[in-house]
Amino acid sequence: MNGKGWLSEKWLGRILVVVSAVLLLLLWHFLAAQTSSLILPSPWAVATRLVEFVGSGRAWPHIWLTTQEILAGFAVGSILGIGIGVLAAEVSIARRVIMPYVIITQALPKFALAPILVIWFGFGMGPKVVIAALIAFFPLMENTYLGLTSTSSDQLELFKALRASRRTTLFKLKFPHAIPAIFSGLRVALMLSLVGAVVAEYVGANKGLGALIIVSQGTLDTELMFVAFVLLTALGVTLDKCHELIYGLVEKRLYGKRSKSGSTGVSV
Amino acid sequence: MSASKQTVERGRIEIRQASKVYDSAAGDILALDSIELDIEPGEFVSIVGPSGCGKSTLLRCIGGLLSLSSGEIVIGGKTVTEPDPRIGYVFQKAVLLPWRTIEENVLLPFEINGTVDDTAREKVYSVLKMVGLEDYLHHHPNELSGGMQQRVSVARGLVMQPEILLMDEPFGALDAQTRDTMNVELLRIWAEAGTTIVFVTHDIGEALFLSDRVLMLTARPGRVRDVLDVPMPRPRSFEKVEGDERFWQLRQVIREALA
Ligand SMILES: Nc1ncnc2c1ncn2[C@@H]1O[C@H](COP(=O)(O)OP(=O)(O)OP(=O)(O)O)[C@@H](O)[C@H]1O
Ligand SMILES: [Mg+2]
Repeated sequence: MNGKGWLSEKWLGRILVVVSAVLLLLLWHFLAAQTSSLILPSPWAVATRLVEFVGSGRAWPHIWLTTQEILAGFAVGSILGIGIGVLAAEVSIARRVIMPYVIITQALPKFALAPILVIWFGFGMGPKVVIAALIAFFPLMENTYLGLTSTSSDQLELFKALRASRRTTLFKLKFPHAIPAIFSGLRVALMLSLVGAVVAEYVGANKGLGALIIVSQGTLDTELMFVAFVLLTALGVTLDKCHELIYGLVEKRLYGKRSKSGSTGVSV
Repeated sequence: MSASKQTVERGRIEIRQASKVYDSAAGDILALDSIELDIEPGEFVSIVGPSGCGKSTLLRCIGGLLSLSSGEIVIGGKTVTEPDPRIGYVFQKAVLLPWRTIEENVLLPFEINGTVDDTAREKVYSVLKMVGLEDYLHHHPNELSGGMQQRVSVARGLVMQPEILLMDEPFGALDAQTRDTMNVELLRIWAEAGTTIVFVTHDIGEALFLSDRVLMLTARPGRVRDVLDVPMPRPRSFEKVEGDERFWQLRQVIREALA
């Protein structure tokens, strides 16, 4: 495509991804042929079932419910995480009080709480949102705290010399500085919310992609279980892409036309 | 005190027995020892001395960024306890905010003051023009060279037209030619605005070209080694100064004193 190198690194990478994906599908196909479809359905069977399941509209209520649980848990966990991160960074006494609780909450295996949360909040969205929020909380609190407290002493000195108030320093220096850290926290939180929502559905739910997995386990419908895996993966990738898109816009707004990796068209 | 006297006194800096001890992990470090100096309003004073002798420390104390361990610094009759709005500061490092454009970086002092308006923007433009960066208004710092970034930070220090300017090796990262241009510009502003300037530099020639007096500090702990008057007449130009025998004599004196 260009005169010098016959293949750019970018295209070589893409081709390798496609080739390896085809090889993996062939491996799956081969393995599936060796065993019962109850244990491992073939990729084609899963694909057919997926098209049928989505096309008939039966998939949407599950996808939609799980998405709502993820987003609600993510929102609650993020708001609390950012809020408490700011508090811990700005008020030293708050930090002293909060930290022991945070450490205990973190040490606590939150999935183990799922059964009691079902008892408390029932089979609705409640326990899913709580679990998703609980595990989304920590990366945000930590990243917000680290982002706000990692401004350089030179920058703080500049603001001091300009006689900036605490509030001005927070909004004009610490927050903009913390944006990349907060966004990487948001990314981790989003993925953890997904895991949290699905695990909570395992414990007690009749709808949602996690519930679907449990149901298909009960009915030995391995094909449907694989369909749920595919849908969950697609949901995760979509959410991650949304995050990437929003961060891209924010970054462009902050840093102008700076691009993270402009490695397009590197000749081999 | 009469009004006129007060006006005259405004930019005066009195440094009285100023000492600074840092307590670091390795124990106490005496950085400044009993510095004594009066700087007249409108005077241009340079500070020279070996690396680590306390030049930046002294400037920070004058700027109210650091408190003295003993002694005091009085500016315009008021003891320094915190940063003063009359002071403009140019740090040894550029310290630009990477998420702001060059224009926004220089506008920062106005933003923090809450006085952003068209006049402020015009001032930003004119200082950036003065440092030769008017074409980079909308660039981000990472698109500029180290020397250009340092000029932005000089522009930010000048933009509020402070009565007192504290400059910590502001032209250290510049090539000789740009540095010369900056020196001439700085003298022009200084002469126009009557600013009091305290200027730290490693470059003896630069100190002599710019200053009324040169404060020489000893190696750590920084003590006043000597204060030299620079007698070359103003307005100065490189040709005139370099043609002046006294320039070369003083240069030699300082060089030997610091060796
Ligand atoms: N925050 C600090 N804590 C402990 N010691 C410090 C601190 N800042 C400076 N010092 C020490 O104080 C002394 C003076 O430092 P200062 O930065 O004022 O030197 P300087 O004359 O500006 O040097 P340079 O010309 O290299 O910039 C140095 O020996 C340094 O090690
Ligand atoms: Mg220094």
